[in-house]
Amino acid sequence: MNHKSIHKDLIFYIDNELSLEKRIAVEKHLEDCEDCRSFLAFLQEGLMIIEKEKNPTVSPFFYTRLSARLEKPEHQGQSQWVGLAQSAFFSFLLILGIYGGLRLGNNASSLKLYQPATSSILMLNDFEAEPIESFLLDKL
Amino acid sequence: MDEYQLINGIQQGDRKSYQILVETYQRMVVNTCLGIVHNREDAEDLAQDVFLEIFRTADNFRGDSKISTWLYRIATNRSLNLIRNNKRKRFFQTIEETFTGGRNRASEISENRSDQPDQNITDEQRSALLHRALDRLPAKQRTAFTLNKYEELSYLQIAEIMEISLASVESQIYRAKKNLQQLLLECYKKKCV
Ligand SMILES: [Zn+2]
Repeated sequence: MNHKSIHKDLIFYIDNELSLEKRIAVEKHLEDCEDCRSFLAFLQEGLMIIEKEKNPTVSPFFYTRLSARLEKPEHQGQSQWVGLAQSAFFSFLLILGIYGGLRLGNNASSLKLYQPATSSILMLNDFEAEPIESFLLDKL
Repeated sequence: MDEYQLINGIQQGDRKSYQILVETYQRMVVNTCLGIVHNREDAEDLAQDVFLEIFRTADNFRGDSKISTWLYRIATNRSLNLIRNNKRKRFFQTIEETFTGGRNRASEISENRSDQPDQNITDEQRSALLHRALDRLPAKQRTAFTLNKYEELSYLQIAEIMEISLASVESQIYRAKKNLQQLLLECYKKKCV
């Protein structure tokens, strides 16, 4: 077995999920290969982090905090509408912006400034498309 | 008090039942969220939201699955949503930094790297590295892996929570491990710390 195929199997070796045959082959290779032993240690120590960090002590005030939140009036229904209104408002702004930009571009072309005006519109649209889209997806 | 009585109590808004539910399952919910978001404070905040959602939607619980299954589902969904929103926020920050000339994260990471000798990796660096690798797993692999490693759930339990077949769970966890190993191998080779 070469290093490459050993490297592909080590995580399953650690989790004891290899067939006996493969396991023996891995162990045999590890005996003679410093590099694979070193990667095995690196992997084991990395995965050990999970064991160390899992099941943290929960704050003793967890339920107290929660019951304080329970006393507060329900806002969820309202905030959904606020979210929708925000999305609608920003969509409107975006459409207005594009429309305005196109109008500006058309006007500019009559002033023989067609080229630079078009390229700046394209750039602005490229740049705006992502955030507004994410924003809308987020709220809906 | 059995599960049926507990749910009954919660559906009727009984505070004692609320408290029993929270105290029984808070460790489990916080731990599940932690496995996905890697931050204790965020995990506790998320767990609070999970319980609030349970109290608010208790009427919909029909008792065809266990309370824990229901909690796991909400906990993993909410955690993945938080990650998604954080990614979006970082995207906005990157844009802002591009225009305000702020430092980008990539350069910060590489600066940190050169400061440290490769031999002595601290636990803190090791966990940052593992978390970065876990963060790069697709949502399903990440959920299945977290439930298996952090909560030590069987593949059968994970299948029920994720509402996928046993074979899918096996393949999600197998791929999660393969990917994790590959990401850590890249780190190891480049001595990325
Ligand atoms: Zn080797």
